Amino acid sequence: MTLLFIQVFNGLVNGAFYALLSLGLAVIFGMLRIVNFAHGALYMLGAFTTYALGERFGLGFWTSLAIAPLAVGLFGMLLERTMIRRLYDLPASYNLLLTFGLTLVIQDGVRLIYGISGQPYAPPPQLAGATNLGFIVFPTFRLFAIGISVVVCSLTWFIIERTRVGAVIRACTENPTITRAFGIDVSLWVTAVFGFGSALAGLAGVLAAPIYSVDPLMGSELIITTFAVVVIGGLGSILGSVITGYAVGVLVAIGSALYPPIANTLIFILMALVLLLRPSGLFGLQEAR
Amino acid sequence: MTMRSAAALCVLLAAGSAGAQYSAGGIKIGLLTDMNGVYSAISGPGSQKAAEMAADDFMKANKELAGKVTVIAVDHQNKADIASNKASEMYDRLDVDAIFDTVNSACALATAAVAGQKKKVFIDTGAGTSELTNEKCNKFTFHYAYDNYMLANGTGTTITKQGLKTWYMIYPNYAFGQNLERQMRAAVEKNGGKLAAPSEATPFPNTDFSSYLLKAQSLKPQVFGTMQAGADLVNVVKQYNEFGLKKQNIGLAIGLLFESDVAALGQDAFQGAIATVPWFWNLDKAATDWSAKFEKVAGKKPTFDQAAVYSAVTQYLEAVKRAKTDEGDKVVAQLEGHKFNDFFAHNGQIRKEDHRTILDVYQVQVKPKAEAKADGDYYKEINKTPAEQAFTPLSESKCKMAQ
Amino acid sequence: MNVQRWVVRVGVLLVLVALPRMIYPILAVDILTWGLFALAFDLVFGYAGLLSFGHAMFWGTSGYVTANVLLRTGLPVPVAILAGTIAALVLALPTGYLSIRSAGIYFSMITLAFAQMVDFIARQADRFTGGDNGLPGIPRPPLGPIQFDNPLHLYYFTLALAALGYLIAARATESPFGQALRAIRDNRVRAQSVGYNPRVQMLVAFVISAGLSGLAGGLHTVGHGVVSLDAVNWTTSGIVVMMTLLGGTGTLLGPLVGATLVLLLQDALAFSTSASGVVTGAVFALTVLFFRRGVVGTLLALDLRRRTGERLIGPAK
Repeated sequence: MTLLFIQVFNGLVNGAFYALLSLGLAVIFGMLRIVNFAHGALYMLGAFTTYALGERFGLGFWTSLAIAPLAVGLFGMLLERTMIRRLYDLPASYNLLLTFGLTLVIQDGVRLIYGISGQPYAPPPQLAGATNLGFIVFPTFRLFAIGISVVVCSLTWFIIERTRVGAVIRACTENPTITRAFGIDVSLWVTAVFGFGSALAGLAGVLAAPIYSVDPLMGSELIITTFAVVVIGGLGSILGSVITGYAVGVLVAIGSALYPPIANTLIFILMALVLLLRPSGLFGLQEAR
Repeated sequence: MTMRSAAALCVLLAAGSAGAQYSAGGIKIGLLTDMNGVYSAISGPGSQKAAEMAADDFMKANKELAGKVTVIAVDHQNKADIASNKASEMYDRLDVDAIFDTVNSACALATAAVAGQKKKVFIDTGAGTSELTNEKCNKFTFHYAYDNYMLANGTGTTITKQGLKTWYMIYPNYAFGQNLERQMRAAVEKNGGKLAAPSEATPFPNTDFSSYLLKAQSLKPQVFGTMQAGADLVNVVKQYNEFGLKKQNIGLAIGLLFESDVAALGQDAFQGAIATVPWFWNLDKAATDWSAKFEKVAGKKPTFDQAAVYSAVTQYLEAVKRAKTDEGDKVVAQLEGHKFNDFFAHNGQIRKEDHRTILDVYQVQVKPKAEAKADGDYYKEINKTPAEQAFTPLSESKCKMAQ
Repeated sequence: MNVQRWVVRVGVLLVLVALPRMIYPILAVDILTWGLFALAFDLVFGYAGLLSFGHAMFWGTSGYVTANVLLRTGLPVPVAILAGTIAALVLALPTGYLSIRSAGIYFSMITLAFAQMVDFIARQADRFTGGDNGLPGIPRPPLGPIQFDNPLHLYYFTLALAALGYLIAARATESPFGQALRAIRDNRVRAQSVGYNPRVQMLVAFVISAGLSGLAGGLHTVGHGVVSLDAVNWTTSGIVVMMTLLGGTGTLLGPLVGATLVLLLQDALAFSTSASGVVTGAVFALTVLFFRRGVVGTLLALDLRRRTGERLIGPAK
């Protein structure tokens, strides 16, 4: 029984990553309806920026935590302004295809610079080692990652659901025409939100660098899982994506313990079930037809 | 006789006196491997350089063949259907006489099938599947460098004999991983070891191994064995350190380890881990000298696969010289049973029965950076397994040719 | 217009007949099989407006079934391919029925989900699929005078069956059924209001598409003598989308042209040691941004302008 409890707890840690990644995608996909396939590549860029800041400029983890998400956010805004916005009038499939192409370019570009094998990166000394929680001795950095994830997810939810800024964002995505009539520069807001979503992906990358291998393909398998989480949680629902992220983390951990081969597929089975039985997602607000 | 016909006659006589019949394009070496993907660091452009080096060195030592040996490198993108296509094209349209490397087991098996069909030589160095010399063996396919049995048997036996008898293992849930675990478990149990708990299959591919490491923490075996390879292995070791298993005296046994994996985390992260390798760049003086030459051409130190490519291409070319032709079956006849020693293979022999190249292999332990005498000095040799014991005994072979 | 169309088709056929003399025959076989696969995909994407991200499940399932029939029984090659095609059709019924219930991006996601499940089953059922090692060395017994080991025989056999597939697709899209599909794609609600039943039409299109994908997959497996997990991988579904887009969606010859371009590009990249992902990704991104009509689509638009002075406005079809 203790082992199961440990697995569940461990699943929460993984869930924290899923939640943070899905949060960024939920903002971009769920709210702006942009199918940003490059989200995984942005996550990878966050990790590599962290590595490069350390390797080239000697900047530590804490500085990277501040700078890298900003850098990735800016990069995301650049992509949105130069390329992605051209396809808004077309069906969502086209942006999926464009960002799929961009993903290939970004991943291979990083590979050409850094090679296909990983780059070393260690947790900062303040967070290295393990903490004794009584029932488990757990790496301190992972606890920190959960903490950051919970804080950032809560803040984002609060901003979007409970503040005026969030109201403007929601207005921009739900009814751009009327919102424009109020004198709000919708396209600027869209770019900013896209940048914010990208920054969230970058933040997840920074947190991943000390625990997972920092290699060009680190985001590629993660991306379709992240989409699945957002779809299951429900498009348009920030809370849905976050809760689903944590839930999926726990479910995959339990699945890995009971029947490993299914771990990678479990989420797609869930996604199919949700799409068939409750198409708007577990917490979603819109119809999926 | 006119001057021109006299000259022509001289050329004919010269060619005739060598007694050699090579195909019109000369001897073409084909390298079919992963140039840009996950295995490109192990093989890739480095393997191409190794093959070219081997061709150049052979031509320098055999002046009559100068300009006659060429190397063509092709990317199979880790897809079996592309590998099969490109192998066919290389043999048919590009007149390639022998294909080398083909890291990736599915691609290697596909290429082996094509080689058998077209009756041209294929020498795999990079892929590990033992099926190449068992169920899927054929007259034109050779397996060089390593396979699952060699890795698992060597590491499992050595560590258990050292007195570390309780094990807990994880393996990726596909053919290679399952096979490696089975062999490692057999080696452990044969030498008096036992498993603290049944081995666990992990999803493949996978980034997070924390649940298995937590389980290892609670079981406290003497050895934690991982059959993961490549990026999965890097994640296992990164998290093995993160969870502090080394501090709890749980040693690390690695099924398949490449130099590029160690570079990915830095050798301190891998310190103490034990694996079996057929070769490493500073194994002995011959290896170090060759590696220096390789590094000048390729810009970095060689992996054992790249060294194997050089060795295999050289042995192939020597066999062609002995056969005095590049015709498939005649070269095969010269390769079979051939015993040799070079900087890569000590006590090397290409077994006639299953075309498995046997050689002395080494159990190594990764040393901490503080003990490294040069950049890339990762390994300390802790044991040597002689060629005869390192590979599947012929009595257990499932190859039709060996029956 | 009809005459012109048939002139073009005959012209293309002549080029295809001569193709193995111009390029390596096995590459030509690939052009046919991928071209048919892309055409099948486009039945659903270009004509019904649904982006399926799971078509590899039909191509791959058929490939594995074809391989198993050839490996385990002595049945002739066409029977094996037929078995594969039937397997794809059978798979299409439940997956199509369930997927069609969703639209837009949800349709894409659910087809992806089904494809991942098929991928999982293929990985697990390694007795039938060889797992990660795949099934190499598939025997291809001669069919009368046709020797499948001979690249030319193989090519013309493939051409015959691919042409059959093309005719089926042409019949489907140029019939009233095809028009109904286009109506549904352009405005589902309006189409419903004039009496079409979108669910039924789209399911039929989906099943036909799956069957042709299966035919292509079976031909591909026979052509290579090997099948592996790549056949059911989601990136395979992605490649076929790229081919269709590059060649021109909503056209019958576009997917074939796109397949040719992508395969020639991949072939050229195979002999280089670097940057293949950057090149492929850039081609893809630039096509989506600036060249959405694809080669054939652009040619058709130019032709339309030349004939009528009209410009094709609005989003690329």
